[in-house]
Parts: sequence; C-alpha cells; structure tokens
Amino acid sequence: MNSFARNASSHNSNSDAGREGALGSAEATLRLLARLPAPEGLEDRVMAGLKSAPRSARVLRWPMALQPAGSWMRGAAAAAIVFVVAGGGWGIYSRVQPAQPGRAVTMPPHVGAAGGFSSAGAMRTPETLKGPVLTQPVIAKPVQAKPLPKAPAQIAPAKSGRTEAQGRAIAHPALTAVE
Amino acid sequence: MSTSQAIYAGWMEIPNRAVDELARTQAEDETVAALVSQYAGTLYRVAYSVVRNASDAEDAVQEAFLRVLRHRDTLGEVRDQRVWLIRIVWNVVLDRKRRAKTRPETDDVAELARVLPCGGLSAEEIAAAAEHHAQVLACVNKLPSKEREVLHLSAFEELSSVEIAQVLGITESSVRSRLFRARNLMASLLDHARSQR
Repeated sequence: MNSFARNASSHNSNSDAGREGALGSAEATLRLLARLPAPEGLEDRVMAGLKSAPRSARVLRWPMALQPAGSWMRGAAAAAIVFVVAGGGWGIYSRVQPAQPGRAVTMPPHVGAAGGFSSAGAMRTPETLKGPVLTQPVIAKPVQAKPLPKAPAQIAPAKSGRTEAQGRAIAHPALTAVE
Repeated sequence: MSTSQAIYAGWMEIPNRAVDELARTQAEDETVAALVSQYAGTLYRVAYSVVRNASDAEDAVQEAFLRVLRHRDTLGEVRDQRVWLIRIVWNVVLDRKRRAKTRPETDDVAELARVLPCGGLSAEEIAAAAEHHAQVLACVNKLPSKEREVLHLSAFEELSSVEIAQVLGITESSVRSRLFRARNLMASLLDHARSQR
C-alpha cells in the first residue's frame, strides 16, 4: 500500500469514527429528551381535567314511577304523536289549493355569462332593401292614376320596348306619383 | 308506606339494568384512572420529545386521555394498552403541530440547559452541552418527517421496533429502513454543521 492510500484510509477511518461519535452524541441527546421526568402532579391535573370534562350523551330514562306502565304509555304517546302530525298535514293539504300553472311562459332576461363578451350597448339594425334602379330615364306621358288592381297577379305584362324594371315602376302607385 | 316497603311490595322496583350500567361506568372510570397513573409520564415524554414545550406536552396528554374517555367502551378490546395510548398521544401531538405552526419548538439554548439534566458540570460545560443539544435538535428538525418520527420514537428505550411499527402503522422492516436512512442523514448533517464551525 502506498503512502497516499494509507493516508486516505486513515483519513476515512478518522472521519468514520468522527461520524459515529457525532451520531452517538446525537442519539444521546434524543435519549436524554426521552428520559425527561414528567412534571410533578401531572396525573392529578389530568384526572381533574377528566372529571370536569363533559360526559357523553346518555339516553334519557322514564321515571321510576312510570316504569311498570311503560309499555302501554309509550304506545299511547307514539300514537298521539302520529295523530298530531298526520292531522296537521291533512289540515294544511285540505286548505291550500295548488296554484294553477301559468300558460304564458315569460322568458327570463338574457344575462350574459360572467366573463363572456358583452354587446357594449350596440343594437343590430337590419339592412334596408335597395330600390329598383332605372337604367335609362323614362319620359312618359302623364298617366292618369288608375285604381289599384284587385289582385297583384293580374298586372299586365310589360310592353315590348320597356325593361322589366320600368314596368314595375309604372305599376307601383308611389313611383307613378313621383313621375 | 315507606320506600323500602314500596320496593318490597313490587310496584316500585329498581331495575337491574340501571344497577349494571352504574357499575360498568364506575369500572370504566377506575380503568381510566389506572391508565392515567400508569402511563401519564410515558405519554408526557413522548409528547415532549416532539413539541419540546412543557405546557403543550401536558395539554397533549390531557387530550389523549379525553379521547380515551370518549372511547372507554372499547377499552376491553385493546390488546396492548401502552402502545395504544402512545399511538393516541402521537396522533394528538402531530395534529397539534400541524395545526399550530405559530408556536415554535423550544430550540432555545437556555431553555434546553434548564430542561436537560447536566448534573456535576460547570456552568461553562452546561452551556456547551446545551449548545450541542440545540445543534443536534436543529439537525433532527431538518430530517424528512418519516425519518424524524422513527428517530424520535427509537430514542424511547421502552419501545421496540415492533411497537414503533404499531404506533406509526407501518411494517417493522419499514421502521428499520427508515431508521437506517435517518442515521445516515443525521451523520451527514452533523458533519456539515461541524465543518461550518
């Protein structure tokens, strides 16, 4: 064995001994703690505490005088309790009429879920329809207002030379008035 | 008619059931009192080794016996009353320690010097011993809880590894492996502490 190995082994054995010694002293400390004597009068104080502690609940007993007659009295008491409860329930049932269910169902106002997006007060407006567009100006003779046809299906078809849009414009009384 | 005459007449009798229950309650109270006088000291030491505070340890013992009183109906079913009681006080102490983190353990050197016995030592030696004890306890506090519990209970000479296993609700082999790990960890912690000085 060379000197380095000897030194290393002696160092290891020293450190092992030191570790064991430290461990032994630590265990001695714990043993000292574990062997500490209890304080004086501990048992008396514990017993006094136990005597003052509330006892667990016990079942109430019938008085001694009622013991021999206990069987029929218990039955009578139970029957009286059942009678009172059942009578009270029947009285309430016979007086109170069940409410008629409403026919209209009112929907609760829509409340956005917490954390959801809000509309920020914006209102939706539907797109308006565009009116018919005339491709060429119409120079028409003043036309006398005619009474409205009875049925829109009986409108006469547009004459040749006029577009369909022009025909619709003439047929519509409002447009006719503008012209 | 006097009371005794009424009893003998038969219409005012004391039922046997009430007498039996009274006797049973008295017997249970006597059993609890015997347990207190026999094991209060042991339970106190177990509690003190964890909380390291005299009043807390005494409170823990009180609470443990209150639990015993609450379950005194089952006293007859307990096989080893000593281990059963230690297990109760152990649980009480761990509960309290978990609940009240505000009150620190007594790691004060002066308090340890006062509590731990140092007979026949000079004042300087007592101070040095107290400092050493405080250092050891600080290292114990750094251990993981499982290893620390086993190390605490192993310091009690009256508890075998089987009984420690019963108190902690684990197997005996687990106790041994945890104790081995605890000793190794303690040795390295103490080494580290010594090298820092």
